[in-house]
Amino acid sequence: MHERLSYYVKRDSALHRLNPLTKFILVLSIILISFVSPWYWTAHVLLLLAIVPLCFVGRVSREFFASAIRLIIPAAGFIFVMQSFFQPVGQTIIFKFWFLDVTEESLAFAFRIATRIAVMISAFTLLLMTTHPSELMSDLTRRGLPGQFAYVIISTLQILPQMQAKAQTIINAQRSRGLDTESSFIKRAGSLIPLVGPLVFGSLVEVEERAIAIEARGFTSTHVKTSLHDVPDSNVDKFLRWFLVGLVIITLALRIWLS
Amino acid sequence: MAIVNLQNVTYKYPLTDSPVLHNINLTVNEGEFIAVIGPNGAGKSTLCYTIAGFVPHFFKGELTGTVEVAGNESSKSSLHEWVLNVGLAFQNPFNQISGAKYTVFEEIAFGLENIGVPREEMKPRVEAAMKLTGISDLADRSPYSLSGGQQQRVALTSILVMQPKVLVLDEPTSQMDPIGTREVFGVIRTMAEQGMTVVLVEHKVEWIAKFADRVVALHEGKVLMEGKPSDVLTSDLLTDKGFGISRYTSTAREASKQGLWPNEKPLPVTLDEAVQGFKR
Repeated sequence: MHERLSYYVKRDSALHRLNPLTKFILVLSIILISFVSPWYWTAHVLLLLAIVPLCFVGRVSREFFASAIRLIIPAAGFIFVMQSFFQPVGQTIIFKFWFLDVTEESLAFAFRIATRIAVMISAFTLLLMTTHPSELMSDLTRRGLPGQFAYVIISTLQILPQMQAKAQTIINAQRSRGLDTESSFIKRAGSLIPLVGPLVFGSLVEVEERAIAIEARGFTSTHVKTSLHDVPDSNVDKFLRWFLVGLVIITLALRIWLS
Repeated sequence: MAIVNLQNVTYKYPLTDSPVLHNINLTVNEGEFIAVIGPNGAGKSTLCYTIAGFVPHFFKGELTGTVEVAGNESSKSSLHEWVLNVGLAFQNPFNQISGAKYTVFEEIAFGLENIGVPREEMKPRVEAAMKLTGISDLADRSPYSLSGGQQQRVALTSILVMQPKVLVLDEPTSQMDPIGTREVFGVIRTMAEQGMTVVLVEHKVEWIAKFADRVVALHEGKVLMEGKPSDVLTSDLLTDKGFGISRYTSTAREASKQGLWPNEKPLPVTLDEAVQGFKR
């Protein structure tokens, strides 16, 4: 079975060693700054001068560019095309397609939105690649995030691949009993219907058993939870976090002041 | 001294008409290893949930009578205190994986994290428990990438590591091959010898005959028989009520009708006993 259940790439780098919360705040502030900044070029600069260098610092450049080709560029490209057709701004029509006008202004707008989306996805990709999910969660729990909340996030990350595998098993079982899954599109879409029942109801039964299992291991215990791994938090981390928060506040202030 | 004490326990799940457990009286002494047998629908799993506190705290429904473990009464305690005394592992190993951890080692430490065991104490406890159940080599694997039998051992280890006073096991070897079963029964017996009280639901009667101190036969929610494994497991009553019995018992019973089994000898449950009898 597939052992790799997350984007995490196990390496030793300065970025990997940063405290998970610091990385989380780094990612959030990159995204916030790219969205609230008063200048259109901020997102492009952040992408080229923050995210790309960071993926080299984190020694995940190969994985990062692979996922850029597979995920980030297609997603941003899709947003760009949609926005340039459907954004009803501007007068300078470049070309018409059916009843849709593509204008110079809508192209510029679409490019800006697409870059911001690219910043958002790539920043999160970078976070997921360099941060082990359980490290992030145990750090956040230690800082007071409710255990139930952390559990919901992390178990969802783990259980999705399991549900996929189970759906495949059910499909195979149904195919072996003659369900048609390989002919026309309509027929294939129709053959998804018998999958829904077993998958959904099966999952509900599982949820009950899993609730019993974690309850049996003291999940709702009122003791203060401890953590197996020690998550490092240095002074550099603390400084970086306040610095980033400061940057976000300055950007916000500039936005308000300049508008 | 009794550590588990059930008095006149009757229980009905919500939205059902008839009770699953009828007037059960059961005491288990400290350090005793009892096995519960019964056909499907006899109420074995419900009995496990009752001792482990999930009935009535988790499943709600109507419980009458008293359930006591280590001097506390379950209806007067909360579930998160109760599980510190009673550990429960059940059949389906896949659903017992927390889903919150990426390696087997972390998975086993999950319970200790929840009850606030300090980190220095956690690692040696997890390592010792893994060594006991023979899964030390799985420490860095993802719990989802394991086979059913391996997952079942992880589930058992995850409970053992919490060192409960009473261990309730609902078919802990259902996914295992004969070698795995033998090893796990060895682990359970070691725990019993170290003073842990064990309540085990199991279909593999030959193993029960070898290891358990006492057998409780459950039928339609009532205690049908209770006593020494060699007495209960060879009783004619079990066959009449549709219990699974050992093939050695049924063979010897047929043989004794034909005069091939010495009448002075009790019927066998295990291979060794059968060999002894047929040798004369």
